[in-house]
Amino acid sequence: MSIIQVENLTKKFKKLTALSELNFEVQKGEIFGIIGPDGAGKSTLFNILATLTLPTSGTITVLDHDILKQYKQIRKEIGYLPGTFSLYPDLTVQENLTFFATMYGSGIKENLPMIMPIWRQISPFKNREAGKLSGGMKQKLALCCALIHRPKILLLDEPTTGVDPVSRKEFWDLLDKIREYQVTVVVSTPYMDEVGRCDRIALMQDGRFITVDTPESIIKNYKGDLYAIKTSQLFKLLDIMPQFQEKCSYYPYGEYFHISFYHDTKHAKNSFLQFLKQHEIEFEKMEHISPLLEDCFIEIIKEDRNV
Amino acid sequence: MKELIAILQKELIHIYRDKVSLFLVLAMPLVLILLFGFTISTEIRNAKISVCDLAQDAQSKALIDAFRASGYFKIVHFPQNPNEINHDFKEKQIKAGIIIPAHFGSQLLSDKESQIQVISDISDINVASVLNNYIESVVSHFEEEVNESGHYSDNPIQVSIQMLYNPELNSVYMFVPGIITLIMIIITALMSSITLARETETNTMRMMLITPVKKIYIVVGKVIPYMGLSLLSTIMILGISVWVFKMPIEGNIFLLLLLCIIFMFTAASFGLLVSSISNTQLDAMMITMMGLFLPTVLLSGFLFPLDNMPFIFQILADIFPAKWFILAIKDVMIKGAGIADIWHYILILAVMSVVLLRFSMSQIDKRRKQ
Repeated sequence: MSIIQVENLTKKFKKLTALSELNFEVQKGEIFGIIGPDGAGKSTLFNILATLTLPTSGTITVLDHDILKQYKQIRKEIGYLPGTFSLYPDLTVQENLTFFATMYGSGIKENLPMIMPIWRQISPFKNREAGKLSGGMKQKLALCCALIHRPKILLLDEPTTGVDPVSRKEFWDLLDKIREYQVTVVVSTPYMDEVGRCDRIALMQDGRFITVDTPESIIKNYKGDLYAIKTSQLFKLLDIMPQFQEKCSYYPYGEYFHISFYHDTKHAKNSFLQFLKQHEIEFEKMEHISPLLEDCFIEIIKEDRNV
Repeated sequence: MKELIAILQKELIHIYRDKVSLFLVLAMPLVLILLFGFTISTEIRNAKISVCDLAQDAQSKALIDAFRASGYFKIVHFPQNPNEINHDFKEKQIKAGIIIPAHFGSQLLSDKESQIQVISDISDINVASVLNNYIESVVSHFEEEVNESGHYSDNPIQVSIQMLYNPELNSVYMFVPGIITLIMIIITALMSSITLARETETNTMRMMLITPVKKIYIVVGKVIPYMGLSLLSTIMILGISVWVFKMPIEGNIFLLLLLCIIFMFTAASFGLLVSSISNTQLDAMMITMMGLFLPTVLLSGFLFPLDNMPFIFQILADIFPAKWFILAIKDVMIKGAGIADIWHYILILAVMSVVLLRFSMSQIDKRRKQ
């Protein structure tokens, strides 16, 4: 059963087209991840799903309610965590939570079990002003506030941006726990390591979804043969690569160099080794690796550009 | 209803925890009224006066010496005829004229009632009231000296002050309505536009809008605390005016408060409009300052008389609500006007509020479509 249905969604700001012809569905109980660079249109999409901005055209149904006509019903059922800290910095943790619970017309006590895993972590600071919490704690509090009315859908717009890696992992562990309550989660992130924890991923670029699939099948559909090379002459290598004739795609990956061959892999690999020798590039090792999601996205975006 | 109370509570916490705004709200009315009431009347030295000595006896000479010795006065002319004093105001720029009646000395020594007359230019009320105080103190000091020299009089010298040019003491009556207006604008319009803009700036407005709470609750819940505070400040100002500055309130106090509440709605509507077009607190502050506060100070007739202004500014003054409020409040306070006399001012303010409110609501709706 699809809980969010988006058809031909377009959003224009004067001349700028932020979202163009988006079509997708989100199923009940899944974690739907949206990944894309800054400016891809992620926050605009969230604002529209949260009924805060009106679409220019298109039909959107959330929980069988039309987003234009029945936005009041939708608001009761969604929890929204915007990209920027949006709680009251001069109110304490407890006061923030109580305030939002009252605004949704629900009490804290009856909904505490659902937010318990998070509340346990932040309750030691419940009398501290929210503005004085650390980044990770702020986001956990914001998640509590977004969940306090037991929403059926949780919209998380880059909830972990600017949060340290440990807190990020904790945050995602919490999302896993929340799933027990049949909450559907739509989440965006700029971090590749996080999208692997989603059930399905949409890769967003220039206001469009380039692909929507499960992480497993995105990796399965990777077409090339991927090798990782460790070399101290990375910049020189990047410099001369345009001279290499075989069809391939390459990019630096941390301290590694990733190269992927598409046709006649063996031949291509050999001619690449020759090419390295010819230009006197020394390398420690060259390994055949299985692609990560990031490699897949780079491939998908490149393909998309060529089309 | 619970939601409205929660918003009110939250807003009060904001005010209480933000010491700057708390101070602004509580101390500013006090500072403003004391500033206008006291400090503007600074000490005055060598004020020019004329003395018409009709007695020409030892006692009158001694009194004139006492004036000279005080250091506050410079006697520029001794007219023979009291009527000449009127000319001195224009020609010699004197601030006051003193007339010592004939037989002053003999009356003083024979225990009869003695009286000196003071004619005072009170077009500048602050200067005049200080000078009158000085004159009275010089006279009473002089009297003490006479008493010490062995003579005791049961009849103290009467100082009768005649006021010229501004017998209604206009500026005293002017600054109280003016300060009430400024306080209303600062607390109701400025503070509520800032607090609403802050919610927009920190994104918390979106968090509130996304809840099922009615939009009107959000606005009312955020504005009411500031209305309450400005009403409190107004009562404080009125209290100080009555008890410290002895300003009478001729009209009905409840009519006066009703008038204040109506103006508060006008100011709040303006604040709402400002917040609906500004994204940050700074925007809200600048727009309110430029769009409401400055025109109120300059064009309400509070500090600068409107009658002397070029026609275009007089027209402009009509557009801003402050002028009408000040006219109405003065009528009630000074002339004791009833609702029948000021209903047209109330109507103007009400119409202004409704127009501002409608305009800001349409701005808020426009925002969502963007």
